[in-house]
Amino acid sequence: METQGQQTRAMRVPAYDRVVVRDGEGKRRQLSRNEFERLPLRERVTYLIGGTAEFFAGTEHIPASEAMKG
Amino acid sequence: MNASVKPIDTITAAADAVVSRAEARFDAHRQDILRSTDRMFAALLVGQWVFAIFLALTVSPYAWQGKVKTVHVHVWAAILLGGAITCVPVALAMLRPGALLTRHVIAAAQMFWSALLIHLTGGRIETHFHVFGSLAFLAFYRDWPVLLTGTVVIAGEHFMRGILWPESVYGIPNPEWWRFLEHAAWVVFIVVFLVLSCRRSYRDMRVMAERGAELEALSENQWRNSSVVDRAAAESAARRG
Repeated sequence: METQGQQTRAMRVPAYDRVVVRDGEGKRRQLSRNEFERLPLRERVTYLIGGTAEFFAGTEHIPASEAMKG
Repeated sequence: MNASVKPIDTITAAADAVVSRAEARFDAHRQDILRSTDRMFAALLVGQWVFAIFLALTVSPYAWQGKVKTVHVHVWAAILLGGAITCVPVALAMLRPGALLTRHVIAAAQMFWSALLIHLTGGRIETHFHVFGSLAFLAFYRDWPVLLTGTVVIAGEHFMRGILWPESVYGIPNPEWWRFLEHAAWVVFIVVFLVLSCRRSYRDMRVMAERGAELEALSENQWRNSSVVDRAAAESAARRG
């Protein structure tokens, strides 16, 4: 069951709608949420472990740990 | 860390490990569902056998040939045919739980049980509901091909028995030739929705495993970052002496 604190936090942090990823050579690529979620799991996990995926809701930057909750 | 090992290599190795663990968790979860459903059907099949014998003994225990009283063929059908339908799938559920063959044999056996119960009740239309209940139970496997096996078996059985012994399946001696198609159409109707439900459940299981992998990857990232900071702090403290 969600606590009031969790609900408040969930309301404060919007769900991400786009992701900017950097590959091994530093090239940046922008993906929609749908495109990111359709990437092979290994690729997504590699971005997350390497910290090379940045999550955004509109122009607002969302921490990866919060983005993965939504 | 060995200086010849690049960070990108360790990230790739960590990603491989995270993905392997996610796949292992998914497989374990799926096996757990398959095995528990096999066990449920083993109990159900035995229960149906007992029920069928009780039904035969209650509804038509004896037949008369002149003044000679004999045990009705329905009682023998319930005991022997019911036993034959039950023993193979139950043995497979005990010996090979979670195997592909086991759940397809169970699906076929469950449909043959519907057929036998329909026969024992003289083709009562109400007993046909057993088919729909059985299909819903088969959906517990979350493996839609099992539903196709069940559908093919019950449609084929209705078709054959409708030709050879229509009274035992429809309760009337001269049904329309297409009656089995009407029954099959209703079965297809429910199976379409159950297949969609199975596919969705399977996808949800996959998404759940992948979500676990993503959270594990984030945790790995945080551990790596914190380790670097800790090492830097330790080195700084050492330099200060």
